[in-house]
Amino acid sequence: MTTTTPQDLIPKTPPNWRKYFSFSTDHKVIGIQYIVTAFFFFLLAGVFAMIMRGELITPEPDLLDRTVYNGLYTMHGTIMLFGWTFPVLSGFANYLVPLMIGARDMAFPRLNAAAFWMIPVVGILFILSFLVPGGPAQSGWWAYPPQSLQNPTGNLINGQFIWLLAVAISGVSSIMGALNIVTTIIRMRAPGMGWFKTPAFVWTVLAAQLIQLYGLPALTAGAVMLLCDLSVGTAFFDPAQGGNPVLFQHFFWFYSHPAVYVMVLPVFGIFSEVFPVYARKPLFGYKIVAVSSLIITGLSGIVWVHHMFASGTPGWMRVVFMASTMLISVPSGIKVFAWVGTIWGGKLRLDTSMLFAMGGLINFVFAGITGIMLSSVPIDIHVNNTYFVVGHFHYVLYGTITFGIYAGIYHWFPKMTGKMYYEGLGKLHFYLTIAGTALNFLPMHPVGLMGMPRRVASYDPEFAFWNVLASLGAFLLGISTIPFLLNMVSSWISGKEAGNNPWRAIGIEWLVSSPPEHENFEEIPIVIAEPYGYGKDEKLTENMG
Amino acid sequence: MTDSTITDKELHLEHEEDNRMWGFSIILLSESVIFLSFFAGYIVYKTTAVNWLPPGVSGLEIREPAINTIILVSSSFVIYIAERFLHKENIWGFRIFWLLTMAMGSYFLYGQAVEWMGLEFGFTSGVFGGVFYLLTGFHGLHVLTGVLLQAIMLIRSFIPGNYAGGEFGVESTSLFWHFVDVIWIVLFVLIYVWQ
Amino acid sequence: MKRAITLGAIAIFLTIASIWMGKASYSWFPPQASAEAILYDDLFSILTAIGTFIFLGVTLAIVFNIIFYRAGRYDTSDGLPIEGNIRLEILWTVTPLLIVIGLATASYQTYDKMNLHGPTEIASLPQVIEPAYADTGIIAEPMTNVEVDSKQWAWVFRYPEKNVTSTELHLPVNQRAHFQLRSQDVIHGFYIPAFRVKQDIIPAKTIDFEFTPILEGKYRLRDSQYSGTYFAAMQADVVVESPEDYQAWLTKAAKQTPTPAPNQAASEYARRQQKEDSAGWKTVVPAPAPMVNYHS
Ligand code: HEA
Ligand code: HEA
Ligand code: CUA
Ligand SMILES: [Cu+2]
Repeated sequence: MTTTTPQDLIPKTPPNWRKYFSFSTDHKVIGIQYIVTAFFFFLLAGVFAMIMRGELITPEPDLLDRTVYNGLYTMHGTIMLFGWTFPVLSGFANYLVPLMIGARDMAFPRLNAAAFWMIPVVGILFILSFLVPGGPAQSGWWAYPPQSLQNPTGNLINGQFIWLLAVAISGVSSIMGALNIVTTIIRMRAPGMGWFKTPAFVWTVLAAQLIQLYGLPALTAGAVMLLCDLSVGTAFFDPAQGGNPVLFQHFFWFYSHPAVYVMVLPVFGIFSEVFPVYARKPLFGYKIVAVSSLIITGLSGIVWVHHMFASGTPGWMRVVFMASTMLISVPSGIKVFAWVGTIWGGKLRLDTSMLFAMGGLINFVFAGITGIMLSSVPIDIHVNNTYFVVGHFHYVLYGTITFGIYAGIYHWFPKMTGKMYYEGLGKLHFYLTIAGTALNFLPMHPVGLMGMPRRVASYDPEFAFWNVLASLGAFLLGISTIPFLLNMVSSWISGKEAGNNPWRAIGIEWLVSSPPEHENFEEIPIVIAEPYGYGKDEKLTENMG
Repeated sequence: MTDSTITDKELHLEHEEDNRMWGFSIILLSESVIFLSFFAGYIVYKTTAVNWLPPGVSGLEIREPAINTIILVSSSFVIYIAERFLHKENIWGFRIFWLLTMAMGSYFLYGQAVEWMGLEFGFTSGVFGGVFYLLTGFHGLHVLTGVLLQAIMLIRSFIPGNYAGGEFGVESTSLFWHFVDVIWIVLFVLIYVWQ
Repeated sequence: MKRAITLGAIAIFLTIASIWMGKASYSWFPPQASAEAILYDDLFSILTAIGTFIFLGVTLAIVFNIIFYRAGRYDTSDGLPIEGNIRLEILWTVTPLLIVIGLATASYQTYDKMNLHGPTEIASLPQVIEPAYADTGIIAEPMTNVEVDSKQWAWVFRYPEKNVTSTELHLPVNQRAHFQLRSQDVIHGFYIPAFRVKQDIIPAKTIDFEFTPILEGKYRLRDSQYSGTYFAAMQADVVVESPEDYQAWLTKAAKQTPTPAPNQAASEYARRQQKEDSAGWKTVVPAPAPMVNYHS
């Protein structure tokens, strides 16, 4: 069923585990370094989440001291974002973009390696912050002043300080990565690969990394000022000295809202790659899907105040940002309908990555609808800072992004390792994950509508029922990672050889050996066709097939 | 986009050279957003703060900073001349004007240090003190970086044949210098002119 | 023809399911104890119905394809190479646009009717639509006036007319209530789920806030903006009672001399200090229990 010949089943360079622990400049090594490191942080932050859910299984604050709960949820959110989602998606971009655009490496290979090696540093700082007196940061991943400035120990080196330091390093790493990826995509596409022959994944990565370039500096500015307030005693955000705490919220959300699209756009890219392969049809409306990513990039910069509707935000501003936020549903809808159009009437194969992609799509529509509800000012006034919001964003962060990443891992695992994973374990992983997601995050919506605030270690007994369900779901999600880990480790070591193109997928990355050679291509491909020619029997490139 | 003859493995590294100017410009654009954010913060503070100036402070002296501004802004022209000399492969002309730029940049830093010493408010004197030192200090750090980069380029000009075919380091340092200048003009208008 | 009937049947099913969900959504909330809550629940119901329609529509489309367009086990053929359809694409761009314009308009009207005030610096919206409290026999003037003081981690309500302080919020029913929200330290959030209203309190500022209780009963006020260690314990009771009971309460409270109110944060902290082997990290010390004329 595949077009591989026996020769290319044998990897030309023998696998060498040690290269993954070295300062390699090969984008493929760096990609895998990112993905594996990030997954480690995912497990860590997931363990934090399970401890939190253990506390929340009863209304009283009995399992943990309140300060410990606050430290855990802060580090859970922070590590999930800065240790898991951002790095893992940088990993995918690193691994796939050069292969997909027919380049031998990234534009700046050494910068690339340097950007990666900052991630372990960030993670170690986060972990070390549990050991300083006073514990890790305890003011949520927003670190709103003046609460985040309170520093009860009085030490210069405190949890909040380390937190800011680590987030700043992660920001530098992201800027370096973004610079590299944007330059690579704009300047290094293979001959013949015009913009409308560029795969949708590459478009979404470009759209996402552009956001990093314009958004992260604003967060940096706010973080520098917060750091000065915390360590030097300046007055920027300290109302007691005439400062303005709401200004920090603007700096923070000016980046951190677009940041959610930095995370979700590449996942949209993964969906756009996965659906055509397993539905055996071209990506429906490829061009408009590609362009809608850039529309999202633009719109995402003008909606941030929807996180501040209940804050010190005047009425006119609330209404203006409600309107801009709602507009985002238009380009998002274009994508959703295009994916449904891609599946429509195809020849569906329900391999694990297709299952994760479809599950992720359904979860995204659900989360998008609660998102639109939140964007309505009067609705948000009641549910803001309740578990309704927590439900909304886990449906995107877990239900969409983590699902999409799983879809991506299963889809490109054969390419990255040269081995096939075990389909049965993969399916088991999927069913446990989708059940766990619903059980964990669905109950958060009703309990939020009833008025349960987020960031609490104790709550009123009337909320207990839904919380028990959510906690059980969290443990189920914890269990669901076990078949995944088993699958990945055992098939990487002893899986069946995969061959170049086990899915009969169209794309330059599927024309080279699995795993690809050091410089990817003997001969740079010359692209002659659009990327999704399923059912058309045409050649993708002039010189490679 | 690129022509189809690029199939040679060796070209890979040269690719990196081509892309560096691109990358550097992107970084500068991104960097400018930090300044934009600080400027936005300044405007918000200035228009909403209840007690804007710290007690006992009536405003900023504009004369010395204005002289400083003129020097910094003209150094942009001087560095341009230096670059032209390099293009014409007149290496000594390049060195002289390059050194002049460095001198002007250093004078700016000196002027700013003198100004800071003479002020009766500090970094922690309310929001005004905070944003004043934050903006001028962050910009000053950029000027210092620029001067140091210029020093490196000057030293490298003594390596024989180093600048034969145009030089990325010189071009980017000069671009950086123009950037630092433009930022200063906005900063000057915001802090000193708009009082 | 057959296709049209199927599509029609699906559309009818979706509509019925959506309307049913919209109706069901009313039961997901605490009691409708304010005039604003009625507006809120109506808007939420509309959003739920539209959301259900979209969600079920997309999900059913996917499930439909999973069932009817699975490739056979040894079938390696491809689907039809359909690359797009301009008319469809325009349709699904314009339809969501129209829907959200409608949603934004409806939301704006509801927000305007609620007339909550909140921070109104720089410019305030013109009041275009009659506020909700104008509808039925609700008294807008004179308003009940309450000053709300928040600190880590306690609420104190002050009634300026009688100079009464209390840790329990009392409000007369069917009368517009006006609040002046203040914080002494960090940001707190004034939130009463039964009233569907919320406003963050920014330190060093006084924020005006208004709503109209319409149902007698006892409700819960919660801090909604994370404020540190004992955030979860920063709650208070809200009693909505008849104007007569309210006046009686106010008069009675005015006569009582201030005593320290019970305070969960302070007492938890005291207990924690006694335990030598406390597992927690150092925390901001709770403000001493407030001295008030009345507490529950
Ligand atoms: C990747 C992550 C991600 C994504 C993609 C989104 C997507 C959206 N989010 Fe979400 N959001 C978060 C992550 C994300 N969010 C996080 C992390 C928080 C909380 C942070 C914190 O407080 O800690 C948050 C919080 C948050 C809030 C603040 C709530 C509060 O704190 O009070 C709001 C309010 O407007 C909001 C809105 C939206 C909207 C409108 C979208 C839209 O983009 C959704 C658009 C998609 C659709 C609408 C579905 C598909 C469209 C169709 C099928 C077309 C037809 C649809 C219609 C006509 C409606 N989000
Ligand atoms: C990508 C982002 C992401 C992801 C994937 C998750 C995943 C999960 N989240 Fe999280 N969450 C956030 C981002 C994310 N979260 C953010 C940003 C916040 C806001 C923080 C804030 O308010 O500041 C938040 C807040 C948050 C809260 C609210 C806390 C509060 O407000 O008080 C809760 C409560 O239930 C929660 C729960 C969970 C659970 C149960 C999971 C589960 O999916 C986790 C599943 C568990 C695992 C995956 C662990 C598996 C590990 C093992 C089985 C051990 C094996 C170990 C080895 C082999 C070494 N999260
Ligand atoms: Cu108390 Cu927030
Ligand atoms: Cu947002």
